[in-house]
Amino acid sequence: MKFTIFQESRIGQRKANQDRNAYCYSRDALLMVIADGMGGHLHGEIAAQIAVQFITQAFQRHARPTLGDPVFFLSRALTNAHNAILDYACDKNLPEAPRTTVVACVVQEGFAYWAHAGDSRLYLLRHGRIATQTRDHSRVQLMMDQGLLDADEAAQHPSRNRIYSCLGGNHPPQIEFSKRFALRDGDIVALCTDGLWGPLGDSGVLLGLSSHKVMDAVPKMLDRAESLAGASCDNLSLIAMCWQDELGARHPDAISTHAMDVDRFTTKLESFESTRSPASDFDLTEDEIERAIAEINSAIHKFSK
Amino acid sequence: MPLQANSPLPSGFQLDQYRIERQLSLGGFSIVYLAYDDEGTPVAIKEYLPNSLALRKEGLITPQVPSENQPAFRYGMKCFFEEGRSLAKLMHPNVVRVLNFFRANGTVYMVMQFEKGSTLNEYIHRHRGEVRERFIRAVFTRMLNGLREVHAHKLLHLDIKPSNIYLRTDGTPVLLDFGAARQTLFTDQPMLKPMYTPGFASPEQYNNRDALGPWSDIYSVGASLYTCVVGTAPPRSDERCKKDTYVPVTSTHGARYSEQLLQTIEWCLKLDPLERPQSVYSLQKALMRKGAGEAMPATWFTDIGARLKSFIGRT
Repeated sequence: MKFTIFQESRIGQRKANQDRNAYCYSRDALLMVIADGMGGHLHGEIAAQIAVQFITQAFQRHARPTLGDPVFFLSRALTNAHNAILDYACDKNLPEAPRTTVVACVVQEGFAYWAHAGDSRLYLLRHGRIATQTRDHSRVQLMMDQGLLDADEAAQHPSRNRIYSCLGGNHPPQIEFSKRFALRDGDIVALCTDGLWGPLGDSGVLLGLSSHKVMDAVPKMLDRAESLAGASCDNLSLIAMCWQDELGARHPDAISTHAMDVDRFTTKLESFESTRSPASDFDLTEDEIERAIAEINSAIHKFSK
Repeated sequence: MPLQANSPLPSGFQLDQYRIERQLSLGGFSIVYLAYDDEGTPVAIKEYLPNSLALRKEGLITPQVPSENQPAFRYGMKCFFEEGRSLAKLMHPNVVRVLNFFRANGTVYMVMQFEKGSTLNEYIHRHRGEVRERFIRAVFTRMLNGLREVHAHKLLHLDIKPSNIYLRTDGTPVLLDFGAARQTLFTDQPMLKPMYTPGFASPEQYNNRDALGPWSDIYSVGASLYTCVVGTAPPRSDERCKKDTYVPVTSTHGARYSEQLLQTIEWCLKLDPLERPQSVYSLQKALMRKGAGEAMPATWFTDIGARLKSFIGRT
């Protein structure tokens, strides 16, 4: 497989980032997943974290190096992630299970397969057009389908954030699966949360990714969404992957997996803590360095005397 | 991303109280130098310098660490400290001694005792195909005394191989390079993949790191024994798990070595960790017994002399 990929998640103007995103690939399969923990509910970020972590781990167990059946994998991984959130709520005696949206995409043998619940989206862009995209599981989308709203009205609608399917919560999720989609050289698969597609709209997503340089485009699109949303900016996340022909011209940032060991995985998943304050996890202060050195030297002297 | 090699500190460079003589070895995580302290005593200095995260350009002293690599660089430094902490507590004649630990040039350094001699790897190459059984048994039984001490401190070495077994000029072995000992911590870090040497790493080091234990080091000891006998490393264990091309030494080297030694090697090289010797002690017992009822000199086993000296030195 050959592709370029980039992901980023930002807190916006909120107190906490309840978005989670990850991608992971083996030699022959790629997983991308985004979850948006639901702010109105308790522990939304925990639900999002469990979902992303659970699906990523399931991928690492089963993609060796390909998944037997990608659709079956998505179905089982998302359902089990839902159950894992319920288990967590039960363990912690939470009054209700936390909730999260999810959109997950698997690419294998040149085909993309995806599944979603809620209003986090997947866009598939080809030749400067949206070739296909997910349909939000939201009340406004239903109203639009019935002709009660148009897109502009939907964007302003007071209950535009109400969704009827998610992982966690009291009802089993209604997970929607895509057909398999054959990828071509230059296709872009983008997964994002409403904090991104809300301010940018479909046209903004399309425009932002028209350059094919996902590493530059992703941060710029997040900048733009943040400035459009202003003081009310929600958490926003985007993963963009540009698919490349195995035989095509070599792109400097491209990841080529053909030399990978079959049992190796490369994973990008922000840990729970690190999305709050990026470096806290590994931070080693000057003081800690000095202390560690002093401690080692005192052990050396103690044991050598 | 093709990795650029880091340039070593120049010869004659004054590093803290030490003067660099030359580079001894270059690894993915560090450079080891031969240096002299202010009294002219030779030491080995290990410089923390992971080449995937930091780059020292030719002619410069302080390595450059791009800001996006800073967290991983610091995390790796934590692991380097762990190695120092582990070694500082180990005081054993068959384990390399740490003498000092300090900071300079934006990174950290570990100073170790330097002794005259050569690695077992060099010895095997000089005596290819004719390493004597008595030598093998003597070196390994003593080296295993050191490994027992390591395991007694709840540490694993995880990178035992002939080039990490150093032979002093009097023939006694010293176990070197504990860089891998704590690299189990690295597994979640994409930039800092665990390191292992093909042929010497146990199958669980590739695919099941939860199953690591003393038996994993014992696999590597078996592979090192194999290398003494055959002259080359055994096939990679991950390949062996798929299709085992390993040829038992009992079927090829029976003319030169005793059946019991060769069987001991096969025992250590079992793919199933449970089928190997479960402790260094049981392997040592096997290495000391040549034929039925025959025992090797007891001094090999305990290094009583060296132990006593270290106790006397401590008072």
